[in-house]
Amino acid sequence: MMRLLPCWPAGKNVANALLAMSVVAGSAGLTPALAAQTDYYNTDAGRPLQIEDAYPVERRAFEIQAAPFRLERSRSGVYHWEIEPELAYGILPRTHVEVGVPFAFIDAGDGVRTSGLTGVHLSAFHNLNAETSIPAIAIAAGVVLPVGSLAPDEAYASVKGILTRTFTWARFHVNGEYTFGSRLEGGEGDVSIGAAELSSWIGGVAVDRTFPLKALLVSGEVYAREPLALGDGLEWNTGVGFRYQLDPRFNLDAGIGRRLTGDEPGWYITFGTAYALGLPWNR
Amino acid sequence: MIRILSRGSATRAAALGLGLMMAGAPDANAQWSTTHEQFYLQAPHNWTFRNRHQAADRLFNAFDYGHAILYETLWTQPNAPASALEEKEYDNLTKKVLVKPPRVPLEEAAIEIAYARLAPEAKTMFEWAHILHRQIYDVLASDRLSEQEKDAEVARLLAYYKSRPDVAFSSHPKSMELMQEQPYSLAFRQKYPKFNGLIWGYHWLQVGLYEPLLVYTTPESRQAGVRATVARFWQMLDEPPRKMPHQMPMTAAVAPTFASRYPEAAIIFDNLHSMHDVISDILANPEVPRDRKRAEILRAAQLYRDDVSYVMPVQAWLTMSEEMGIENMGGPAVDFLTDLPTPTVSYGAVMQHDAQTGRMTGMKTGEMTGAMAGKDHSGMAADSASRDSMAGMDHSRMNMPPAQDTGRRTMDHAAMGHGAMPGMDSSSMATMIAMHMRMMADTGMRRHVLADTVLRRMMLEMMPAMPDAHRDQMEQMMRDTLAYPVPGRRTSQPAQQPRAKPPAKPPVKAPPKPDPHAGHKPPGVR
Repeated sequence: MMRLLPCWPAGKNVANALLAMSVVAGSAGLTPALAAQTDYYNTDAGRPLQIEDAYPVERRAFEIQAAPFRLERSRSGVYHWEIEPELAYGILPRTHVEVGVPFAFIDAGDGVRTSGLTGVHLSAFHNLNAETSIPAIAIAAGVVLPVGSLAPDEAYASVKGILTRTFTWARFHVNGEYTFGSRLEGGEGDVSIGAAELSSWIGGVAVDRTFPLKALLVSGEVYAREPLALGDGLEWNTGVGFRYQLDPRFNLDAGIGRRLTGDEPGWYITFGTAYALGLPWNR
Repeated sequence: MIRILSRGSATRAAALGLGLMMAGAPDANAQWSTTHEQFYLQAPHNWTFRNRHQAADRLFNAFDYGHAILYETLWTQPNAPASALEEKEYDNLTKKVLVKPPRVPLEEAAIEIAYARLAPEAKTMFEWAHILHRQIYDVLASDRLSEQEKDAEVARLLAYYKSRPDVAFSSHPKSMELMQEQPYSLAFRQKYPKFNGLIWGYHWLQVGLYEPLLVYTTPESRQAGVRATVARFWQMLDEPPRKMPHQMPMTAAVAPTFASRYPEAAIIFDNLHSMHDVISDILANPEVPRDRKRAEILRAAQLYRDDVSYVMPVQAWLTMSEEMGIENMGGPAVDFLTDLPTPTVSYGAVMQHDAQTGRMTGMKTGEMTGAMAGKDHSGMAADSASRDSMAGMDHSRMNMPPAQDTGRRTMDHAAMGHGAMPGMDSSSMATMIAMHMRMMADTGMRRHVLADTVLRRMMLEMMPAMPDAHRDQMEQMMRDTLAYPVPGRRTSQPAQQPRAKPPAKPPVKAPPKPDPHAGHKPPGVR
């Protein structure tokens, strides 16, 4: 979910990250509601597309993404494998919190390989309203912690705004995300894998079409991102994917996409499953 | 070409996207809605009903589609001919969706897209109550829970349900006045009788399926009972709307064992089904302007949530449920005869009831039909203990509607007294009674008579005229029949009494394999 979050250095940046988190937490407290969706209809960033909808995981639900997998291949032949186990919990009405632990394996060819954690991702997501004649609106904040051999050197925080608008023929989502902190010196080859994945900003649109009797969602997206690393050009990305409800608790997703511009054009595929369960409850 | 896109292009693209998102957005009536979803109660019995009774469970998924497409059609096609629902969508539902129902619960927001935007609060109320519905099936379908544990789990489910007062229906019974005597009422059933009957059929099965799960005690008998009840639902679709329920199925009538054991849940489900009808009426009634639909829906939702509006005592709710007539609601959900009972009121008739006693006071719309038409019930003894829906009905106090309401003459019950049967001498009567006694000496026949509400009512009406000895004998036989357990069926309520020895482990015998086609009988197949 936070794979492309931009970051900022420790110290001042950590303070900014905490500030961003507190904004979300504060708004959650003012508006007593949170939710996160656990089914095929509730998309999550990266599952399978980067652009997500404005609805959280349901309150009191746990969504476990055990091993969502993503493979990228750049034009230069570098393979980037990543698995990011995630756990989201609907902690309040219309609000969920999430933690992700991405693990990457890079094969640059000629026997050059490396692997390790690319950071620890923490985030909070708060939906402001259910869609009426007003689109559904959500805000999110997250931080990438410098944990792992491939993680960025500093913590980086980001904020995000999300809109979802549903028409009878399709559903549209608009996401805009900004990462605090100064841009990193050097290109992709001079910064860690975790830092190279960070974006100064991301903006994009996704459209999906639901086949409700088959519990199937088909989506497409276009988004732009500016890498945090200086020297990397603006990237335009596009992708398509689907989400499918296997049974009331399991859903799976898969997607394929292409980085159209930027320093390293390439393609990616992704595949994952999610399992939903609730917390025990007693009167 | 894409390479030449700059940051400025990205900004313009983002602006375009935002413009699209906001298109047609906030008008004067837009309201900020903060309703939200909540996960079902996590428990070991989750999805037991789905695993044990697959066909019935999938049928409920199809029911969700039916409700959703109904609201979406009513809201998005206000000027469509009645055939859009009565023929096109009805045929799609009964010939496709119900025949091959979805395998997982549906995301209704993806079906009732415009309606979900109109009133997300009402949508959430329905979903929260449907979750309760399904979780109680899970509890009752479980072979691992003892009777006491089932009661405890249902109580826990109810508490969890009520922990969301923003979306929970009241567990106090509401009078039918709230459902069918509002300015917008009856629009749906009058314009779309087939579809309305289908919805009532849905509601009959949704509450009726609790009965076989409760009254049968073994996995095999529960499986067979569920199949029979599902098959009964299909039977209602044979001749729409003639064989469909003519009144909203009341849980206390259709599922008396369930309502007796879990009255709060039964009341919640009656309120749920009642509000389904209300929303249909609001959406279908052109006299409610489109810019008032949301406000009216939210008003009704509030009235169904609070514990004070249109509330009647529980005993009055039971009486009202009886007096509406189970034969008018599709009949009982277990122990039914081959044929569906004959309704005693015209389709969609509106009975009026005293809010404090539940006793019927008149008919606002519609009429009595068949055996009940023109009958003088003024001398009928009140017998609230009887399950006979019409017992105790005092039609002499009915405020029959004026001619313009029903298209019928006002009935003069006082002039319709029944005396001795004309043309029958005493020897014929004696022979008739002897034949009756001989027939009723048969246990199977007594069960059939007691299970058929019309026959049962006729017998009860006849008994006061019988010789004392015969009447005493008949009463004794009836008591014996009611007390004599049908194999595999529970006749008492052991829920409050601990078992002498709770089962130490689950039954060794594997539960019967669910039949994916269990109970399916597509329309037209006899």
